Amino acid sequence: MGKTLLGIILSVIVAAGVIFLFFMKRDVGMTSTAVPDTPIPPVTAAGPVPDARTAELAEEVRNKGWIAYCARGENGTWDLFVSRPDGSDKKNLTNTPDYEEAAPRFTIDGSKMLYRRMAKGAVIDHDLWGFQGELMIAEGSGANAIPFGGDGEFAWASWSPDGRRILCLTKKDIEIVDVATKQVVRSLSRHGIYQQLFWSPDGLWFTGTANHAGRQWCVVRMNAETGEVNPILTFQSCTPDWFPDSEHIIFSSRPANQSPTNSYGWSQLYMADGEGKNVELIYGEDGYHIYGGALSPDGQYVVFTKCPEDGGGSEKSGAPIGIMRLSDAPTIGGESPDLRRAHPQTKDGPVLMLEAGWEPAWTFAEIGGN
Amino acid sequence: MYKPFIPQRMNPVRALFLPAAIALVIHACGPGTDTGEDPQVTTLGSVEVTAQLEEIPSELPDIPLYDYAYVFKYKVLQVHRGKVDGDTIYVGQYNPLKPRSQVADARSGRIGGNLKQFKSGDIHRMALEAPIDDYYMGGIINKYFEQNPPLIYWAVWTNRVIQ
Repeated sequence: MGKTLLGIILSVIVAAGVIFLFFMKRDVGMTSTAVPDTPIPPVTAAGPVPDARTAELAEEVRNKGWIAYCARGENGTWDLFVSRPDGSDKKNLTNTPDYEEAAPRFTIDGSKMLYRRMAKGAVIDHDLWGFQGELMIAEGSGANAIPFGGDGEFAWASWSPDGRRILCLTKKDIEIVDVATKQVVRSLSRHGIYQQLFWSPDGLWFTGTANHAGRQWCVVRMNAETGEVNPILTFQSCTPDWFPDSEHIIFSSRPANQSPTNSYGWSQLYMADGEGKNVELIYGEDGYHIYGGALSPDGQYVVFTKCPEDGGGSEKSGAPIGIMRLSDAPTIGGESPDLRRAHPQTKDGPVLMLEAGWEPAWTFAEIGGN
Repeated sequence: MYKPFIPQRMNPVRALFLPAAIALVIHACGPGTDTGEDPQVTTLGSVEVTAQLEEIPSELPDIPLYDYAYVFKYKVLQVHRGKVDGDTIYVGQYNPLKPRSQVADARSGRIGGNLKQFKSGDIHRMALEAPIDDYYMGGIINKYFEQNPPLIYWAVWTNRVIQ
């Protein structure tokens, strides 16, 4: 009888222990997840509910040219699209069910564009896309597109200011290629630049993502004549591009120590001058990574993508495209308590959110018809 | 009812045989010597060395979304092919948290080996190219930058050596 009672007591203790461990394990699992404690606002294609200010911004930009971007077409593959900067009058430029097209870029006058074209089903890698697939060159409207090279050739191609040459990266060099003849007319050491290489509108500078002083993910500026490099930002920064004035650079950066509850942090959009001085926030929002930053041709507006996942969404279906006035920088979206602590001077200007896309570009040329 | 546990006396033959068998298994499964030589390491790259990984100067970043090469400092024990200046070399290893057999991708091109994990003090047989920037275009973490290493090699093939 005593032994039976002891057995019951032991069984109860063991059962209680099992139940306790079960719930403790569940609790540990929840708290050890990689999801940061910062609440992530829901993503919607249209973004926040438009208010009077965003409606005013939409009206303001509606007739300021076109933005081009890649997005998933109805056929499921990546196609190239253009729309008015307010999102209206959207057109599918390519509509190719057998290809994935990505990363359109206009010449300064908008008469031509280049982009990468990959085989159907290819996953666009957010860091490798510059040497994925073929380089395509087309009219600014997307018409008469032709492959310029074979698979992986003319990596990270971008336009010269006059659109007659392209700037490319090879493992050994930066190469300047004449578009008419496809001949390399000049090469120079890439000095650690390894992706996202762009030529300034005045032709005097290059900017790119580089290794610098033992660090990766630095944004640098290179003197196009001498090859001399100066850093713009040497910590977790990438995707640089030029302002129309050739004196400022826009780029994304993920600063350290943004939050005690989120060690990874969020990528924000910044600007700096060509000496790497006067680094200023343009747009950021806790819960989102801001990439694809580019200026309107007049330098008055900024276009970007806003993705809850790092990398900008190229591996999936992109991310909502945002448009704001540069004069409203710095602007912070959402509650963003950590970011607001770091940038209390935020102007909180309106941001016009458009459909999901990736790598937007802006031209004032009337490429899409009236 | 609970059945009482009563320890059983082990057969003396078993008592002797069991430890011997375990020792044999451990010996058979344990590391023998391995020079790291294979058809890849002896033919790829322009330089082939056996070298000791001196240290891992910082924690290796574990960010699967981003690829990088990490510069390690090696003490050269033997040069099999090519020419190496001095007995210290700096070698960029691509995505060092991955086993060498699984590390190759579109950015790295053909690289590999049988090394599974980088450990300070281990000896590696490597096929190398140089300078790294001529063979690899991507992020490089170089904790020895301040020491101004004259040349950074690119690890094409890395095998473990067991002495």
